Amino acid sequence: MYFYITLGKGLVMKMLQYELKKIFLKPVNRAMLVLLLAIVLIGSFLAIRDVKYYRGDHPELSGPLAARELKKVQKQWEGPVTGDVLRRVVKENKAINDSAESADIGFAKKQGFADLINLICVAFSEPGKYDPYMCDSISPDKAAKLYERRVSRLEKEISELETGLPGAFSEKEQRYLVRQYKNLKTPLYYEYAEGWKALLDSQYLPTLMIIIIVIIGFLVSGIFSDEFQLKADSIFFSSKLGRNKAILSKIKAGLLAITILYWSAMLLFSAIILGTLGIGGAGCMVQLSFSNWECMYNITYFQEWLLCMFGGYIGNLFILTLAMFVSAKSRSAVLSIAVPFVLSCVPMFLGRVPVLADFMSYFPDMLLRINKFLGDFVFCEIGGTVFGVYTVLIPCYLLLSLVLFPMIYYGYKKMGAVPARAGQ
Amino acid sequence: MEVNIIDLTKEFGDFTAVNCLNITMQNGVYGLLGVNGAGKTTFMRMLCTLLRPTSGKITCDGTEIFAMDGEYRKILGYLPQDFGFYPDFTVQDYLLYIAAIKAVRPAVARKRVKELLEKVGLEKAAHKKMKKLSGGMKRRAGIAQAMLNNPKILILDEPTAGLDPNERIRFRNLISELSEDRLVLLSTHIVSDVEYIANEILLMKDGMLVCRGTAEQLTAAMSENVWKCYVEKKSVPRLLEKYKISNLKTDSHGVELRVIAKEKPVSDAVIEAPVLEDVFLYYFGERVGDENAAV
Repeated sequence: MYFYITLGKGLVMKMLQYELKKIFLKPVNRAMLVLLLAIVLIGSFLAIRDVKYYRGDHPELSGPLAARELKKVQKQWEGPVTGDVLRRVVKENKAINDSAESADIGFAKKQGFADLINLICVAFSEPGKYDPYMCDSISPDKAAKLYERRVSRLEKEISELETGLPGAFSEKEQRYLVRQYKNLKTPLYYEYAEGWKALLDSQYLPTLMIIIIVIIGFLVSGIFSDEFQLKADSIFFSSKLGRNKAILSKIKAGLLAITILYWSAMLLFSAIILGTLGIGGAGCMVQLSFSNWECMYNITYFQEWLLCMFGGYIGNLFILTLAMFVSAKSRSAVLSIAVPFVLSCVPMFLGRVPVLADFMSYFPDMLLRINKFLGDFVFCEIGGTVFGVYTVLIPCYLLLSLVLFPMIYYGYKKMGAVPARAGQ
Repeated sequence: MEVNIIDLTKEFGDFTAVNCLNITMQNGVYGLLGVNGAGKTTFMRMLCTLLRPTSGKITCDGTEIFAMDGEYRKILGYLPQDFGFYPDFTVQDYLLYIAAIKAVRPAVARKRVKELLEKVGLEKAAHKKMKKLSGGMKRRAGIAQAMLNNPKILILDEPTAGLDPNERIRFRNLISELSEDRLVLLSTHIVSDVEYIANEILLMKDGMLVCRGTAEQLTAAMSENVWKCYVEKKSVPRLLEKYKISNLKTDSHGVELRVIAKEKPVSDAVIEAPVLEDVFLYYFGERVGDENAAV
């Protein structure tokens, strides 16, 4: 028995090894891998370069040098953002405004607490608007009520939208939102987190995810269809394991290629950015970033990173598994390559059509852009309970991916004994 | 080893590619002859379980081959007409991969690949990429892959198509060498491919088996004679219309013809001993004036 198990494993490993070879030996796929590496490196470089430190009249610093300076000035504001701290922010802001020779010099002096100024601005602006000078005119005592303002502004916003109108929330959604807002542990803790911000608040992450999915799509699209394109299908399907273990090896090779390439690219991207800018601030709540001030997910930067990475992986897995399924059923690599492109890019544009916006919120591309949509109020209601959309999308698409695997297996197995072409 | 083909029929819509075929085959070399479109490939694909018959069945030692599933494919070696491969694999990698999907243990596969590379004369090309091989070398790699699992049933669909005469002779000898203790079914429309190595020749036309036997039996079974005659050039078109001409050789004075006919085509025609090519023409050839002439 042991002999047969070992024999089976040896063959399976051999088949898997050769399936991976088929993928990675193709010259076009090798070129794609080089392209992927180049894009990851360029993306990391651009994200790092976006970190700026302004020095008034002197040229600005960017990248690691800017990060070092920012870390120094932000260190003074590290700690819980209490009412007293917020009062101090308003006072300090006013003092700098009064004393600075120019706006540029003034801005440079505020960089240590610019994030907190932004929070006050976003929190006290009218809903849907952003007043960048709000901190200049607000009273210190009013600013101290930042957290109360967050909840009250939400309640006001909700009450202004009549239930049933487009964009209005159901009562359950309203209760869920308010509960989530009230559950945010305050005061928030502030510290230098430029590494996480460069990684998660930039446009590079979702763009990179889309590029990754399209490139991996190129690689996995031929796994099944190539047998037919190369006319190797007859030998494949007439072999002993061609309709069972060899198909499983193809699926495993696809799964491995998706997993290894996705995580390699993402971890490299994250490692370069965090390695250069630092991992400080991992425990800060995402609401500290003014773009996520309204976020209903009470998570830290590190948790957001995990969510983006894991969600992105599930999105990749589903879309690319679907591409493999199309490859297996249609025998066409071209159709298969189109799947990742269509599913990752088209919903982005269709989502801008107001009538389709809600519907498009449940497409798998949402998982590739978690960091961009984290602050949006998108819900799912299951059995009368309201969840944030990502709480549902991630397990849903994981489940759908798992369902696709047997579909690929049996779909491709069937291909082995159907009239491929009218014989002579 | 006995393979039985029982009332085997395959239809593609209104078109019947294989029509109620009944054949019993045992160990030995079987040459399947027929013009393009005779149904040879469809028949072979059904034998390889790549196509399901519309009706009828194929059994191997009494068991239906589709029911045998992997156990049948375990004893099967197949070289398809359109032999496809993985262009970026080396010959050795290609064979090792095929060995793996044929469930040949890795250690055995390494040994077997080495032996077969030597046998087909590709040992020096073992590390060459498949896409760099010549047509003949690719076909040799094809036969090597078919032999990896030491199959009891070896099916070769047009294995010599596109090969030069040297390669064809070499291939023929190789097949002859490999045919010991197994059933080899070799399809071709090139008569000389099977004339010397097949123990039995099956003639297929329009999806049906029209005749079977050894080369001698088939030539003996011809109900028409083979005539050799020498005629003027101007009378050739008339003869081509009237008779099946298996050979036509022109010189400066006239034309030497090999004619298949019951009666003497011209008064000075002399009778010749028929060969397999004449049999082929007798069954499959049409006169020039015939509609849908296949040859």
